[in-house]
Amino acid sequence: MAVAAVTAVVIDDHPAVRAGVAHWLSAGEPPISVVAEGKDVGCAWVGPGAAADVVILDLHLGGHVPALGDLRRLTDAGRRVVVYSMRADDATALTCLELGALCYLTKAEGDDHLVEATRVAAGGGRYTPPALAGALAADRSERRPALTLRETEVLIEWFQSESKDLVAHRLGISPSTVNSHLERIRIKYAEAGRAVSTKVALAARAIEDGLIDIDDL
Amino acid sequence: MPTVRLALLAVLVFTQFAVSAPTMLSGHTRYLSHELTFVTYGAAALLTAASAVWVLRRRPLPRALVVVGVPGALLASVVSTAVVPPDRYFTPFDWSFGLVGWLLFVLLADRTALLLAALGTHVASSVVQFAMAGIPDRLVLGTGAILVISGTGLQVAVALGIRALRRGERMSGEVAAERDRVETRQALAQQHGSEHWLRFAGHLGTTLPLLTAIADGTADPRDAEVRREAARAAAQLRRLFAENDDVPDPLVHELSSCIDVAERRGITVSLVISGETTPVPTVARRGLTEPVIAALSSTEGKARVSLLRTGAEVRVAVVTNGMSQPEADRVAYPRLPGVEVSWHAYGGHRRMEAKWRSQR
Repeated sequence: MAVAAVTAVVIDDHPAVRAGVAHWLSAGEPPISVVAEGKDVGCAWVGPGAAADVVILDLHLGGHVPALGDLRRLTDAGRRVVVYSMRADDATALTCLELGALCYLTKAEGDDHLVEATRVAAGGGRYTPPALAGALAADRSERRPALTLRETEVLIEWFQSESKDLVAHRLGISPSTVNSHLERIRIKYAEAGRAVSTKVALAARAIEDGLIDIDDL
Repeated sequence: MPTVRLALLAVLVFTQFAVSAPTMLSGHTRYLSHELTFVTYGAAALLTAASAVWVLRRRPLPRALVVVGVPGALLASVVSTAVVPPDRYFTPFDWSFGLVGWLLFVLLADRTALLLAALGTHVASSVVQFAMAGIPDRLVLGTGAILVISGTGLQVAVALGIRALRRGERMSGEVAAERDRVETRQALAQQHGSEHWLRFAGHLGTTLPLLTAIADGTADPRDAEVRREAARAAAQLRRLFAENDDVPDPLVHELSSCIDVAERRGITVSLVISGETTPVPTVARRGLTEPVIAALSSTEGKARVSLLRTGAEVRVAVVTNGMSQPEADRVAYPRLPGVEVSWHAYGGHRRMEAKWRSQR
């Protein structure tokens, strides 16, 4: 049975990065084809990019202001977005997850993580690279979900070692259990984020409809 | 002072019992009044005995004794002189003259001015009594004058000698105290200097002994162990320089400096940081970076250095593969209190983690 190849659209303002990403994805097992690329988010909305499985989005397109608005529009439309950023900023990473990105990847991390993130995202899954795991482990905001001790350990070990084998050995579990822990952590985060955005959206709609007043909040 | 007083007491006792007593006893019939003679002698003896109690214990005489004793002695002298036949003034018959002088000495040994005043009063009163008895002939006058001058002169000289002695004592006491102060300051400065040197040498870590050993020839740079030690020493020096920089995040700055040295050796090091900047004291920072230096200096392949800061703890980890040192225990580094360090090896990887908790 032939599995449809995963397609991706790469949005980055550096041509060299676009070429490099395309090369990495095509060298993956199985290869992922880049159907569109450009420095404008429009590539993901019109043309061949509109039908791509995954959008790989550089957060800092030609400026210091992160393209969070573009990210939200893409995720609201149901697109699967992998954020690919030069900055290793914890707060930005968590915000992108909250806005619905499936993965936040720093450009310092290697091709393995990018390929894996894209493949997992094509299926709607959430991949957690080591740097993101560190951001989750260090998260001290009030909106973070309650993680078990074992889950926190998994995050920290993965952040420190970048080797699932080593993490599994240190914690005495199998590598697949490590993966399932990471998935569960991401689900918890997604649910915590969704609750907030749902409440906010609800309040905004109610104000729009005139049911409540801003002063009532 | 106590010794001087003892000497004075000895003179007084000798005079009282060995000189005055025989004189008085042998000629008591010739005194104008036996009773008064005995009474005054007894009073003088009483005062002598009372003073002896304190002088022998080497303690100062109580004020009460002095206040009673001095006028008492002077009175005794006047009365006893009054009962001496007029032609016997300033002769050995007048036993009270010298005796009272020495008694005054023992009573007022510490107060030179008062002593001189009392002696003056005593001599004056004796002379007045002598004069009142009528103008004697030149022989008696002469003998009397010699007695007065020699006796009093000796006593005044002793009084002044005591005063000079006390001044000298005081000055030597001050000089000794000053010398002690200077010696203490010197000792403290020396100790401070040596501590400073030790701290400085401690900061340099293994650099000094290593360089010395290479210079001596006891350490061969071709030896892998020596090269590893040299890598450690270079990283420690580099970190020492970084410690003196004024940066917002000193721990990251120092970690970067350790990594910098390792990268120059050809190791690929990636540094990942998570969490907010946490203030870490210098000692703890050193405790966290020492094992990092040890881990990096004993690896030849790739290394991943991670720094995680949650609110309560700071964790630094180094995961290497392609290590040259199979046993982590063989890597020596100073362990500092408050920092937990653990080593773990698996497959081709070696992992070191250093943990520090804030708000112990």
